[in-house]
Amino acid sequence: MGDKKKKKKSQLPFRLNILFIFVFGLFSLLILQLGVVQILNGEEAQNEINKTENTPSTKPVPRGKMYDRFGRIVLDNEPVKAITYTPPKNGESAAKRLELAENLAQYVTMFKDREELLDNIKERDKKEYWYLQNAKVVQERLTKKEKELDNSEQYKVMLDKITDKDLQEIEWTDELLNVIAIKKEFDQAFELSPHVVLNEGITEEEFAQVAEHLPELQGINAAIDWKRKPLYGGTFNSFIGGITTSDKGIPLENRDYYLTHGYSLNDRVGTSGLEQQYESVLRGRKEKVQYTTDNSGNVVGSEIVVQGKSGNDLVLTLDMELQQAVDKIVQEELKTAMGKVNNNGYLEDALVAMMNPQTGEILAMSGVRYDREDNEYKDQSYRVIYDAHQPGSAVKGATLLAGFDSGVVHIGETIRDTAIKIAGTPKKESWTNLGNPSDLKAIERSSNVYMFNIALRMSGASYQYNQPLRGFDWDSFQRMRNYFNQFGLGVETGVDLPYEATGVVGQDTVAGKILDLAIGQYDTYTTLQLVQYVSTIANDGYRIRPHLVNEIRQAEPQKGQLGPVVKSFNTEVLNKIGIDDKYIERVKQGFINVFHGSQGTAAGRWSGEYRKYKVAGKTGTAENPQYEDGKMKAYTENLSLVGYAPYDNPEVAFAIVVPKNGGGNTQYAVHHEIGKKIIAKYFELKDERAKNGVDTDLLSDSKQEEDGQTKEE
Amino acid sequence: MSSKNTNSNIDYTLISIIILLGIVSVFTIYTLQPHLDQNYYLKQVIWYIVGSMAVVVMMLFDFDRLRQVSWILYGIGMILLLMLFFHFPPGIAKEVNGAWGWFEFPVFGTMQPAEFMKVFLIILLAHVIVAHNEKYKNHTLKFDIWLLTKIALVTLPPLALVAKQPDLGGVLVLCAITVSLVLVSGIQWRIILSLVGTAVIAVCLVVAAYIYAPEKVESFVDAAGFEHVESRFQGWLNTEEVGQSGGYQLIRAMLAIGSGQLSGKGIGDYQVVDTIPEPHTDMIFTAIAEQFGFIGSSFVITLYFLLIYRLIHIGLQSNDPFGSYLVTGCIGMFTFQVFQNIGMTVKLLPITGLPLPFISYGGSSTLTYLIAIGMVLSIHFRTKEYMFD
Repeated sequence: MGDKKKKKKSQLPFRLNILFIFVFGLFSLLILQLGVVQILNGEEAQNEINKTENTPSTKPVPRGKMYDRFGRIVLDNEPVKAITYTPPKNGESAAKRLELAENLAQYVTMFKDREELLDNIKERDKKEYWYLQNAKVVQERLTKKEKELDNSEQYKVMLDKITDKDLQEIEWTDELLNVIAIKKEFDQAFELSPHVVLNEGITEEEFAQVAEHLPELQGINAAIDWKRKPLYGGTFNSFIGGITTSDKGIPLENRDYYLTHGYSLNDRVGTSGLEQQYESVLRGRKEKVQYTTDNSGNVVGSEIVVQGKSGNDLVLTLDMELQQAVDKIVQEELKTAMGKVNNNGYLEDALVAMMNPQTGEILAMSGVRYDREDNEYKDQSYRVIYDAHQPGSAVKGATLLAGFDSGVVHIGETIRDTAIKIAGTPKKESWTNLGNPSDLKAIERSSNVYMFNIALRMSGASYQYNQPLRGFDWDSFQRMRNYFNQFGLGVETGVDLPYEATGVVGQDTVAGKILDLAIGQYDTYTTLQLVQYVSTIANDGYRIRPHLVNEIRQAEPQKGQLGPVVKSFNTEVLNKIGIDDKYIERVKQGFINVFHGSQGTAAGRWSGEYRKYKVAGKTGTAENPQYEDGKMKAYTENLSLVGYAPYDNPEVAFAIVVPKNGGGNTQYAVHHEIGKKIIAKYFELKDERAKNGVDTDLLSDSKQEEDGQTKEE
Repeated sequence: MSSKNTNSNIDYTLISIIILLGIVSVFTIYTLQPHLDQNYYLKQVIWYIVGSMAVVVMMLFDFDRLRQVSWILYGIGMILLLMLFFHFPPGIAKEVNGAWGWFEFPVFGTMQPAEFMKVFLIILLAHVIVAHNEKYKNHTLKFDIWLLTKIALVTLPPLALVAKQPDLGGVLVLCAITVSLVLVSGIQWRIILSLVGTAVIAVCLVVAAYIYAPEKVESFVDAAGFEHVESRFQGWLNTEEVGQSGGYQLIRAMLAIGSGQLSGKGIGDYQVVDTIPEPHTDMIFTAIAEQFGFIGSSFVITLYFLLIYRLIHIGLQSNDPFGSYLVTGCIGMFTFQVFQNIGMTVKLLPITGLPLPFISYGGSSTLTYLIAIGMVLSIHFRTKEYMFD
């Protein structure tokens, strides 16, 4: 061996020793880090464990209520006793759920009616139950190939392999079916969100029993749930809107939106009307409770992590007393009109909107439809903002102002009221020959020819009887509509509801149609647009946003008392029409003459006692022939009336539209009748309140019918 | 080098250490039994019995003969790894947790070739180094580089196959074995130091790049087929954010170990370990730490330290360089596995799938380590004492 070997031997021990030092270093590092983790931070880790063993749970809070302008409750909450199940984080196994269901079934019967119970339990539910009892047996039935399927597929196959014979092994008593029904509800619950197992139909005794045994029912809670309760039946319901049920939960199409805003999957949310528009106000904040448990899972304490807060209440602009009265008037008048001889079978709707023209507060909105199939009068007030109709001459105030502002007519100008005939279109004239009306007379007596001339002059066309229009400027349609839009006709009114219609704009293919546009027989408008239009004139040209909510208030501290104001909605001017005040004054005078002039189109109907209300406004009639398969079936007219009162200081504006009336001399002036009655009612209530104060307790009178619908006998 | 009688004999110290580790293993698995789906502690007892027989066989076998079969063993190991690479034979080659690293035999149970490859590599590398040193008596730069090349050629094929499974832990262990053998092979210090320097700089660069431009490194790593490495590294760096996925295991492990505190919660009194998936394999140290606290876990680490100390001692005593190299390879293997396995549970290192030698449940690994111990015992058994060296 000699030298070489010796040399090698000498370097090996040295290097092994270096390796040893290195190993020593590494092991020391381990011990050091262990010391840090176990001794320095050990207690923290233990606390962390204690903390994470508990999961916070949430409790529902009542949704905000709605009051009318005088603090009368319109939409209330009704407490409902409910049994809820909240699965732990990451869910619970099916076997555990069954065990819990068996436990709960001792105290609760899901279906009091046996038939319902049998209907509820399907064969699949029975198979699932059988599977839980015999999982091993079913698993053995799987072929080798089936065992390789993923879990859900495999489960399906296993359920298929359970035969009727298997199911007959078990005696399906009602008690057992009850357990399965409960488990079925448990199966639908999402982790950490309370799922309502049973609410309607739970008895006091069941609720008490469950409440008493809560400690042994992990995840079960006996809670008070809330149900919406409208106090005035059908009246105004379509504007209040609806919310989803807790079974349906948040709408799937906007799932992500709601989840990021702190909703649980089974939260109820507003899906229409004010419930939807003011969802964020009404929902409130759920109470979050953190339970602390000891090692065996018993609750030893609870801490409120997030203080719950009831939803805020809405104070509406609505006068519920007036609303009810208007509903009744509209329905009665519609009923009367239906019975008249001229009614040729198309009349079905009567629509009314009333608002304060100066503030935009909507006082009442009423829409009644006669349903021919059900032979029933239905409250469908949403038609006030959803349905658009041709209103006829009611828009002439806007036409005249357009004429003034375009400089095509001037104050006091007279125009001869002769028929207009353009080649290729029918002859057009006023309802009777009005001679040589001035601008004022043209409004008072509703001259079509005057408006036709304004339209023709604005279009720049040269007109000769029975000749085509020459030099017609097609942009004049848009110019006319721009004027109309300034009053709210053909644009959104801005009302605080999730949806409103803006009406149909005609296809401008025939030049002569501009004449129809000028007299309100072309484009269609909603009743709400019409009330905004007349309010804009009443208001000297300020277009106000109509609104249904006056204030947002915190939940009532005590029953029958309103909470402090969170936000109040002031009058909002959308635009001031760009037309000289002297022209607006002229149109207002015309509107007064319609009701008070010697020849006013409304003067006859509004004579006598009705003069004292100082109403100004405009009537309208639009021809509305009904066609079927291209053939005219019947001649009908849309009757409309817009106005405000008193004309020297307007405080109420209204628009009434009753489409598809029969025409002719026997026609019942349903629009005037509704108008007179609602105005009379408005002032009657005002006087009464001035004398006796506001009657805040409408319900105890029990004068009104159960709901807005009554059967036609 | 004390007296004549105690040496050239059976090393009872080493055997006692292994028996103690075996007791710790079976006992810990036993306490975990309520949270497991099979009777693992009994199985582990059986593996220990099988392993003990292997120890006896290896001890009686003259380790010098291993030189003659070193290439054959290596070849067997390579064939097994190649079969896994081609997922062959179908039905027997098996994917577990995304890695193709197991054969599953109908009656016998599972087998993990990468474990056996560790020992085969030690044997072959020791043989290659000894053969080289016998041929080239001087350590010149040229010869050293030639030796390094040979080591690399032997190491890289199994390394690549294990990496492809993918089994990062296995790769790292093979590296650890190679590095420790390079250290003692007699290669000049300047070569070793420059290699170490290069490696350190490279690692620093990658880490720095990851901190400043994580996306680029991620895409590069993903492209190289090491997504799981990256997710574990993520879990280690940002434990809280990664939460459920990469960091979940680490969070649970840290909670389990930490809440053990100084003296532990008591036998079988788990609060966290039962929520860790498969706590009887790679994460078994957490079970020890939660039950017995700092005292218990330090005891286990001390046992390992004594084991390594004993191995170094045997390596130093051996007058056959081949024996010394075999022992060194084992030292590298055990040290790295213990450090990595415990280190990952206390957030010193990223999570890697590696068993804790002798304690984690596992047939192939326990058998492999016991074979290695048998080999070491055989070396000790055949070490002749020179009275006058």
